[in-house]
Amino acid sequence: MFAAFRLRAPARARLHALQELYRRFFGENTPEARGRRLLAEWLSPEQRAQFEQHRYFDVTGCDTGKRYRIHYGTAANVHEIDAAGSATMGWCFVPTGFLVPGDVMLAQKIALETDEKGALALANRFPPATHSEHFYRRPF
Amino acid sequence: MATQIVMDLTGDTRHEFDPENAEALARAEQRFRELTGAGFTAAYRTGPGEVTRIKSFDPTAHETLFYPRLVGG
Repeated sequence: MFAAFRLRAPARARLHALQELYRRFFGENTPEARGRRLLAEWLSPEQRAQFEQHRYFDVTGCDTGKRYRIHYGTAANVHEIDAAGSATMGWCFVPTGFLVPGDVMLAQKIALETDEKGALALANRFPPATHSEHFYRRPF
Repeated sequence: MATQIVMDLTGDTRHEFDPENAEALARAEQRFRELTGAGFTAAYRTGPGEVTRIKSFDPTAHETLFYPRLVGG
């Protein structure tokens, strides 16, 4: 009986290892995970560290020098911020189609850093207090 | 190898090509024209976190990213 149990234990361990492998493989190959990887590749080291810690990163507008905070999300996730980091205005502009958050955030970063006026010209403004900080800190 | 990265529903689709191969380069340029003609914005990295937008095909760009037209949300 004990022998049978001993035989089963390695099989169970192999099964768990296989399950973990599948979980990691599929977890890291979802569109969301691919989007986050692409975003991370294109962020500066400072932006990447900020994103990993807070799930947002800051960019500087190329035309005005204003600072914007891009939160993890696909809509109403860009805030203009003051020197203290407090949101003063929300700007909503997104790429067309149903893109994942990482892709949307990367498009927003590039737009603000290379064509700030163009991005803001088509954006809709919203009060910065529309969403709480908790809203943006939902798990991946 | 050079890569054209197109954002889409799957996260992104990557098209790799050999810039030394004239035929592959022509296909990449054609893809560039089709995507930008459809409203995509093209950009490539010039340094860590630094990005430049391009409006014409750059055969020396190692990696070009395309994202769809922006709209007000």
